[in-house]
Amino acid sequence: MWNYYFKLGLMSLRRNPILTSLMVLILGFGVGASMTAYTVMHVLGGDPIPHKSGKMFVPQLDTGSAEDYKAGDEPDLQLGYLDTDAMLRARHGSNRTAVYGIAPIVDAQRKDLPPSGEAGLAMTRGFFEMFELPFRFGGPWNAAEDDAGSDVVVIGRVLSEKLFGAEDPSGRSVRLADRDYRIVGVLDLWRPVPRYYRLLSGSSPTESEQVMVPFRNAISREWRNDGWTNCNGSSPDEPGFAGFLKRECNWIQYWVQLNDAAAVAEYRDYLAAHLAQQRKLGRFKRPDNIRLRDVREWLAFNDVVDADTRLQTYLAFGFLLVCIVNVVGLLLAKFTARSGEIGVRRALGATRGNIISQYLVETVVIGLAGALLGLALSYAGLLVVDHYSFESAGIAKHDPWMVAATVAVAIVSAVLAGLLPTWRAALQVPALQLKSQ
Amino acid sequence: MLTMKNLSKIYCTHLIETHALRGFDIEVREGEFVAVTGPSGSGKTTFLNIAGLLEDFSDGDFLFDGASVRGLGDDARSRLRNQKIGFIFQGFNLIPDLNLFDNVEVPLRYRGFNAQERKRRIELSLERVGLSSRMKHYPAELSGGQQQRVAIARALAGEPRLLLADEPTGNLDTAMARGVMELLEEINSQGTTIVMVTHDAELAQRAQRNVHIIDGQVSDFDRNISLLRPRAAAVAIPA
Repeated sequence: MWNYYFKLGLMSLRRNPILTSLMVLILGFGVGASMTAYTVMHVLGGDPIPHKSGKMFVPQLDTGSAEDYKAGDEPDLQLGYLDTDAMLRARHGSNRTAVYGIAPIVDAQRKDLPPSGEAGLAMTRGFFEMFELPFRFGGPWNAAEDDAGSDVVVIGRVLSEKLFGAEDPSGRSVRLADRDYRIVGVLDLWRPVPRYYRLLSGSSPTESEQVMVPFRNAISREWRNDGWTNCNGSSPDEPGFAGFLKRECNWIQYWVQLNDAAAVAEYRDYLAAHLAQQRKLGRFKRPDNIRLRDVREWLAFNDVVDADTRLQTYLAFGFLLVCIVNVVGLLLAKFTARSGEIGVRRALGATRGNIISQYLVETVVIGLAGALLGLALSYAGLLVVDHYSFESAGIAKHDPWMVAATVAVAIVSAVLAGLLPTWRAALQVPALQLKSQ
Repeated sequence: MLTMKNLSKIYCTHLIETHALRGFDIEVREGEFVAVTGPSGSGKTTFLNIAGLLEDFSDGDFLFDGASVRGLGDDARSRLRNQKIGFIFQGFNLIPDLNLFDNVEVPLRYRGFNAQERKRRIELSLERVGLSSRMKHYPAELSGGQQQRVAIARALAGEPRLLLADEPTGNLDTAMARGVMELLEEINSQGTTIVMVTHDAELAQRAQRNVHIIDGQVSDFDRNISLLRPRAAAVAIPA
């Protein structure tokens, strides 16, 4: 019976093409707008590493001064060099990394390629494994190079192709801030959304960072953080980079991998012990205020999906609701015009259930047409977002789930719009309609 | 086939009550061809709608095929209509988007027949009304008389025991009306009970029995037990 209803639904699309097109257009626009907004929110707020997001943590230590302390204050989101250095050396957790932003001048030493500043990262080699970076050529630098802070570099695919074309540049050199670095690996395209590994960057590059050097190398070369740095005045101001490292300035993003609850508890104990030890050295004026947030908690805490994006999505779904109400009116008109047919079908033996099924299937057919239009419009909408929004440029794309969700939203919307008209159609007294035919 | 005793039908609005039928008694036996006549607004169509289970009645008794229909649910009424009753309307009431095959198929779909059985019945009934060669045509491509034949084919496809016709020739010219009437007589001669509402005295004369309704009551009956059809027994109508 359902394929019969579906066939009738398809025929009905042709019956009143203007009214039908209007309904499909309204539904398509509503679905397109809401799914564009929802896709942006979904992409921005998605879990970038679902299989591991519960095991990767950002530790926070409260290094603020005693004067303006308020109980329950949120500790700084990054760590200072002293704590980072100590935590890296202690090697707690199954993996760990410290990362900060750099912006070295890359000199290809070619006349056709003038030196250019590239966004980069200084990080320990744990970063590659924890964030699962894909390599096109070569691999990460080794542990010895990591500890020694050797002049080695991993470059991104975009930079590699710019400098060397399609060939494997592993083993060749590239000049960073007037010193040669040996290329040990080339990353494949890697652009996690959101950029959760370093949310507090100073700027949001539209491409992922193309230069990656060992953390200790960047420190030894006194490369300053290209990003958010927060200092408090409780420490003496010594001159130079060495003085900066000793100050209570927080500018390094730290990640640790803890595979189970026991490891988390153990890590908390370690951090507490570290605080106690540092307190003896005259640091940490505030009581212990340790935070450990996993990836999802970290994204939520940092409002990766900002209030504006949420509001846009709510408004877009409000627009969809208005569209549905409009479609209700059009369907009422369409079904009322067919009351004669309903009367005939009822006289010939159709139950109310048959009529309800037939007309709901008809609305599903309209929903499917609306879904096709909605998909096309939301693709177009995402292209516009891609073009005009810096924040979500290049990231808002339909995945199969979003396509399925778009179709589902369109069909559910159509069925919702069809409930009242269908119910009214089914309640018609057939006798009244037959005489008036 | 149909027995109504002391039946009444009242339409209520918030201002007035209209008695469409009151103290309505009738019995239609299996195999009869009954013509129902009466002035406009006398209650003919209301009677036909109640007889066809399209409308409920307010009071009294109504036995359809020996069983009371009082309190029957919507689904049970739909099933009875689908299996035992065929309808023919003055305005034909064909579905304009469906071709003849699909129009005749409608009641068979609700009956749950498989595709093969549906096809067999559709072809048979369209052949019976002389339109088997035009199965793929649409109603708008046919004359009024042909459309009414399709409506008859649709009513016959489910092999109903009762055919209810509401002014079946009202929209047809004399020649077409005669053709439709002959078809109804032929159907009746094969055993189908027919109740036909008509304004046309000449057509009514051709039925085995006339029932005249005035002001929602049977005012005259059994006036015309047709001598043309000696096989029909005299029917006792309750007083």
